[in-house]
Amino acid sequence: MSKVRERTRSPEGDLPAPTPDAKQWVVYTQKREGAPFKWAGTVEAVDTELALQYAREHYGLDEACVGLITYEHGDSVDGEYSIGPLVPQKADGTDGDEWLVFTLAKRGGNHQTAGTVNAPDAATAINRGTAAFADGKACNIRVVLASDVHETTDEEMVIWRTHDMTYKLAKGYSKQVRSKWTRIRDNPAYEQYQKEDIETHF
Amino acid sequence: MSGAANPVSPPDITITADPEKLAAFEQRIADGILIEPGDWMPDSYRTLMLRMAEHHANSEIIGALPEGEWITRAPSMLRKLALTAKVQDEVGHGQMLYRVSQELGKSRDDMLRDLVTGVTKYHNCFNYPCPTWADIAMVQWLIDGAAIMNQKTLADGAYGPYVRTMNRINMEEAFHFKSGEDMVLTLMSGTKGQKAMTQEAFDRWWPISLAFFGPADKPNCEELPPMKWRLKIERNDSLRRRFVNRFAPAAIDLGLIINVVTKNEQGFVTSAKPDEAIALDKSTGDWSFTQPDWDEFWRVIRGNGPCNAHRLALRRFSYDQGAWVRRAIGDGAVATPPAA
Ligand SMILES: [Fe+2]
Ligand SMILES: [Fe+2]
Repeated sequence: MSKVRERTRSPEGDLPAPTPDAKQWVVYTQKREGAPFKWAGTVEAVDTELALQYAREHYGLDEACVGLITYEHGDSVDGEYSIGPLVPQKADGTDGDEWLVFTLAKRGGNHQTAGTVNAPDAATAINRGTAAFADGKACNIRVVLASDVHETTDEEMVIWRTHDMTYKLAKGYSKQVRSKWTRIRDNPAYEQYQKEDIETHF
Repeated sequence: MSGAANPVSPPDITITADPEKLAAFEQRIADGILIEPGDWMPDSYRTLMLRMAEHHANSEIIGALPEGEWITRAPSMLRKLALTAKVQDEVGHGQMLYRVSQELGKSRDDMLRDLVTGVTKYHNCFNYPCPTWADIAMVQWLIDGAAIMNQKTLADGAYGPYVRTMNRINMEEAFHFKSGEDMVLTLMSGTKGQKAMTQEAFDRWWPISLAFFGPADKPNCEELPPMKWRLKIERNDSLRRRFVNRFAPAAIDLGLIINVVTKNEQGFVTSAKPDEAIALDKSTGDWSFTQPDWDEFWRVIRGNGPCNAHRLALRRFSYDQGAWVRRAIGDGAVATPPAA
């Protein structure tokens, strides 16, 4: 154990004064160019720049992606979460500001971007979003004013993609794990083990 | 590393909700419909879910501490990169699970304060030491393996925000487990010294892994809120049996001996003899095994384990050290550097 850590003594006395939680930002990542942005998680940050920094460090490094967007949690509005698919409705009109629309395919799933609508307020944006994108396949519509959504630039994303990062993916180990196991177990036994790895046990 | 949610069944709680609403809520869960924010839920459901998500979040960030100590001493560049990424993942899991908990009504600062003052707990397995590199391999293989087994069942739960977080976390746990399996395979294909070190680490971690799932549940646990409301999906004993079925034959094939051990207060093995109960029952496909020392489990969970004080001291140290940063950026007194 490192000596510095071994010497850590519990600080005596009272805890420092409590601090209020910072703003919550919701983060969505895009796997490849043109694909929808899918919900990845949240970060806690005081402003947009820090939120984007954290989002890149956390979700931008979790798995390969080409871009991410974030907005402050309080800026989004969710429509109702239906049990089955939302009933499509007629609601057209092009007046008002631009809203980014997200759909949720099933409860417990992840929201993803579907497109944009124009609307004078969130409720109308949800109605128009449902009409345009629910398509019998969504159980919830979420909208955010497009101007409240912040996106990483291409230059920012490229920094994180300059080296092989398969060491942080399970599949990055498949080859060496197989070659080491098959020195101990025969191929059919290994295949069975591998199958159960994914299907039954994990 | 990380999370079983609750290794110990939460205490029984009194349900004080409108019976009609409660019946409709329970019917929804029985029908396999997930709960999303905005849906009605009994207060006791919210309390139990918060307790579970907060415990899980605490376990993620405390679990990063023993492994973090090994980043500087990882044996190769690849292992160093992978371990850094893994520790980063675990802290990220903590961030995501604190977020789920916040939505259920508790501030992040309150959760961090309750953790360092011992009001809330984290997973018991992180109260044990990792004195060698082989311990890090065992943690990634056995503890992350056990965590995936548990979390896969939790991803089948009823609370939408926890389920989507679990699905995302499990993807990363698969990397932790696979790199751990690769580390154990490497060590067990290595020198005599490496094999001996690995056996010693296995002796330390096998009983901790068995205890990971918590003691046997009450006989009627299926009718109690955690399982009835699908916060908890599978009995502890059932998870433990699946774990042994998976890992006992793998350990034996690797050349490891499954021992029954005694340990001293520092968590080091003082005696080891082969577990004679280890055997495959061909009729059921299940392996039999000796239960871990449950007295030790309770002793450690009550705060008297080898590393309890050390882990909490380090967390408290970080909380104190970070106070000025939280204050400074919270008040907007310090700006982030301008974008390049
Ligand atoms: Fe992990
Ligand atoms: Fe984790």
